[in-house]
Amino acid sequence: MRHHFLHRAAAAAAVLSVVAAGCKKAPPPPPAAPPPAPVTVASVDLGKQLGPDTRVVQAMTTFGVRDTIYASVATTGSATSAVLTAMWTFQTGQKVDSTATTIAPTGPAQTEFHIVKASPWPKGKYKVAIWLDGQVAGEKEFEVK
Amino acid sequence: MTDPNEPLPDFSDVQGGSSSTAPKPQERTYTVVKGDSLSKIAKTLLGSAGKWKVIYEANKDIIKNPDLIYPGQVLRIPQV
Repeated sequence: MRHHFLHRAAAAAAVLSVVAAGCKKAPPPPPAAPPPAPVTVASVDLGKQLGPDTRVVQAMTTFGVRDTIYASVATTGSATSAVLTAMWTFQTGQKVDSTATTIAPTGPAQTEFHIVKASPWPKGKYKVAIWLDGQVAGEKEFEVK
Repeated sequence: MTDPNEPLPDFSDVQGGSSSTAPKPQERTYTVVKGDSLSKIAKTLLGSAGKWKVIYEANKDIIKNPDLIYPGQVLRIPQV
């Protein structure tokens, strides 16, 4: 008799716990992750030497006629594909060089562009324009003395 | 002041380059089948036949003439 009672009590407890579980509210779904920030150009620095992190060791805007000229471009944001272009021009508007690279950044990144000339650079003023996906995203002027 | 009669400086010996800490986008590949052309592949994979040159530029090492591609050739398809 006592056994029967215990069995019934256990069965009732089991049913109650199932019912209670059935009444539990489902937890709300986790909030959707915010969309990733698009790529933007944060800064452009010029120099004649790069560090291991692809940043110029010392930012400068005056170069010698034999220097290799680096433009270090800092970007933030992410993209599956973004085209960065460096357009180098002389003071006359004459094109010196244009280099494009496609990147897929997942966060802050450094991209360097450089130009080197076999013969000495003509003295004068120059400009590098950084384009991001077809839009000018930064500019820097410099001089060769 | 720039003298308009002065010859323009020569930048033909300038070499440019770049590198980045950001990863490169993943490239797809496509195996050419009979009847394909670069513009047909560009339309299918890049959404516009006019983008055939993007595929050509990415495969210049194996495509000598953009009008001649051969079944079995594996082409790199860049993301645009």
